[in-house]
Amino acid sequence: MSDIGKVRLRVPASIKAGDVIRVRCLVIHPMERIERDKAGKIIDKKYQYIDTVTVTYLGKTIATFDTTQSVSENPFFAFAVKATDPGKLTVSFHDTHGQKYEGSVDIAFS
Amino acid sequence: MRQGHDTGLTRRAALGALGTVGVAVSLGGVVTLGGAAPAAAQALGQNEPLEAALKRVFGGRPMKDGSGMIKLDIPLIAENGAVVPVGVEVNAPMTPQSYVKHIYIVADKNRIPIVTRVALTPASGQAYMGANIRLGETTDVRAIVEQSDGTLLALTREVKVTVGGCGG
Amino acid sequence: MRRRPMRWLAVLVLSAGCATAADRPSLPRWTSRAVPEARGDVRVEPDGRRVAVRYPGWTTRDFARFRTYAYDDTRPEPPVQRATMPAGVTGDPERGRALFLDRVKGPCTGCHLVPGDDVWPAGSVGPDLSTLADRKLADAYLYQQLWDPRVTFPKTVMPPWGAQGVFTPEEIVHLVAYLQTLRGPVVAEKDPDRNPFTRRKPVGFGDNLDPTNNPAVLRAESAETTWGRRGPTGKSCADCHAGGTEKSMRGVATRYPKYVEAYRRVMSIEDFLTVHGPETTGAPLLIESAANVDLAMLIKMASDGMPVVIDTTSAPARAALARGEATFHRRVGERNHACVDCHTPDRGAGKFLGGRLLGDATAGLTRHLPTWRTSLNDAWDMRKRFQWCMTPLGANMLAADSIEYAELELYLTQFDNGKPLNVPGIRH
Repeated sequence: MSDIGKVRLRVPASIKAGDVIRVRCLVIHPMERIERDKAGKIIDKKYQYIDTVTVTYLGKTIATFDTTQSVSENPFFAFAVKATDPGKLTVSFHDTHGQKYEGSVDIAFS
Repeated sequence: MRQGHDTGLTRRAALGALGTVGVAVSLGGVVTLGGAAPAAAQALGQNEPLEAALKRVFGGRPMKDGSGMIKLDIPLIAENGAVVPVGVEVNAPMTPQSYVKHIYIVADKNRIPIVTRVALTPASGQAYMGANIRLGETTDVRAIVEQSDGTLLALTREVKVTVGGCGG
Repeated sequence: MRRRPMRWLAVLVLSAGCATAADRPSLPRWTSRAVPEARGDVRVEPDGRRVAVRYPGWTTRDFARFRTYAYDDTRPEPPVQRATMPAGVTGDPERGRALFLDRVKGPCTGCHLVPGDDVWPAGSVGPDLSTLADRKLADAYLYQQLWDPRVTFPKTVMPPWGAQGVFTPEEIVHLVAYLQTLRGPVVAEKDPDRNPFTRRKPVGFGDNLDPTNNPAVLRAESAETTWGRRGPTGKSCADCHAGGTEKSMRGVATRYPKYVEAYRRVMSIEDFLTVHGPETTGAPLLIESAANVDLAMLIKMASDGMPVVIDTTSAPARAALARGEATFHRRVGERNHACVDCHTPDRGAGKFLGGRLLGDATAGLTRHLPTWRTSLNDAWDMRKRFQWCMTPLGANMLAADSIEYAELELYLTQFDNGKPLNVPGIRH
């Protein structure tokens, strides 16, 4: 899909200081699976899939997903964050072809 | 009560709590990285049998029964093995002294059994992860939890994968 | 390497199933504005082989022998056939079981449960056959049921496998031999989910309107670009429809499909875009192109939560609705199936066809379309879903924007009247 790398992040509509919130994100990505030739042999190529997802909050890495080809195409990832201070939360996706995709959201208190 | 149904309720409840208005949405951008992927990540997803994967990653360390602490949300029947939502919640403290360091998802019969490893920190506030995973066929799925003191806990659940009826 | 002549010069393209004006003067002859793989064309190769033009990965088998939904296809249903078991063939239960489980053939297990841990996922549309032999039915009777059950049950949903040539007489003898081995008592299930009558129902794929759950929402949002893009005439959708889709299209989709006087036919949003786009912006919006599907989703999302209010009171709309209803009941294809067989509650709806729960058309199954297919990572509109249904039925598909499909969609949509639109959906 030409939308590769589009990212959506979702946090609760209302956050109070100190809340442990759950964040969901989705990235459009093919997460290429292993292909086999007619003889059933694995085709040796550099498959394009996301292998690292990094969650940064207030400039610090708070969670990292190491991912494999057993993760779905257009995957979502969810995690928890303790919202201690207002600030930026960023999720970056790195794939095996050296691409980096990113989405971020400002955590603000209501 | 059916576990499969639990999953739906839990996710819906979670989304409900998030609310439907004022949801923060952000657009992603594409940035090209200079280097290749980290070596550790490349090593994680290997085409190997389950036993080899467990030995490689956990080195034969003992695993405790995690049924008291781990909540594994995954449909018992997956209509479509290409997209199976999984959620893991661990009832354990997340303090600098003691926290859940890693949550692994392992699908026994997948060609690449190690699906993901999530590294958490006390700043997570709660040991929780969710993702969409692929299941090649009906298989046991394990949530393996590694605590900061090195303790390993595991919980297994079978997921049945149906293939198409007459196709669609 | 020898250069091959350009293929398109050497082939003849046959059009499958356009409504003709001949016997139905009220219907226009419709020229499809679909992407090439969605037109229902059949290509004739230089060697005479007929190859159906379909979507990538779909079967290219030409089902021309079998009845379709085209209004100009006046062939009757295949006649009911009586059959007697061939002499001199000894039934082999093992071969029969292999045939019963062969997913490329029947597949019998799509509808019937039989014993064995390797039977997965069996369906529940037809009766559980686990102890069929205890009924002591004659071989000749079972042979006839497999050949053409309409002899005994005129309204059965089971295809006439022998009469349609799916199984050979010899294969049916093996199947009968296998069925005659199925005796009680039934052993307790190791796995209750093996039995489709007690199997847990799938739970679905979560919140379809959550953009972090349904990639189709992102696809629809990308159609904002199409909406704002100026075409060859220098105009864009946004130039005439002010206020963005959210405002200008609010409520519009609740009235589709509808009879559009200007084109003298029923049209869905997707159909309408194929003509309205070129006429206004000058840019094509072929049905089943990503641009059409995505824009249709975006337009429909502007009506999410609003009740469907299709109007079928005009005379042409009433006539179209009646034709759509007739299509719903019309038996087509190699399997001689009708929509009604699988998608009404007194027949297949709510039951498992293999591992899939069959939808109930009378409960309304149109208001989430286009929907995200998690198994295919693509958004499908109703027409592609219809076309996909044709493949297991063994019927050549019609053009995605055919009048026949539009009127069938009209019939299906009236079951959703009063219920809120919920686009894009998310399914298996």
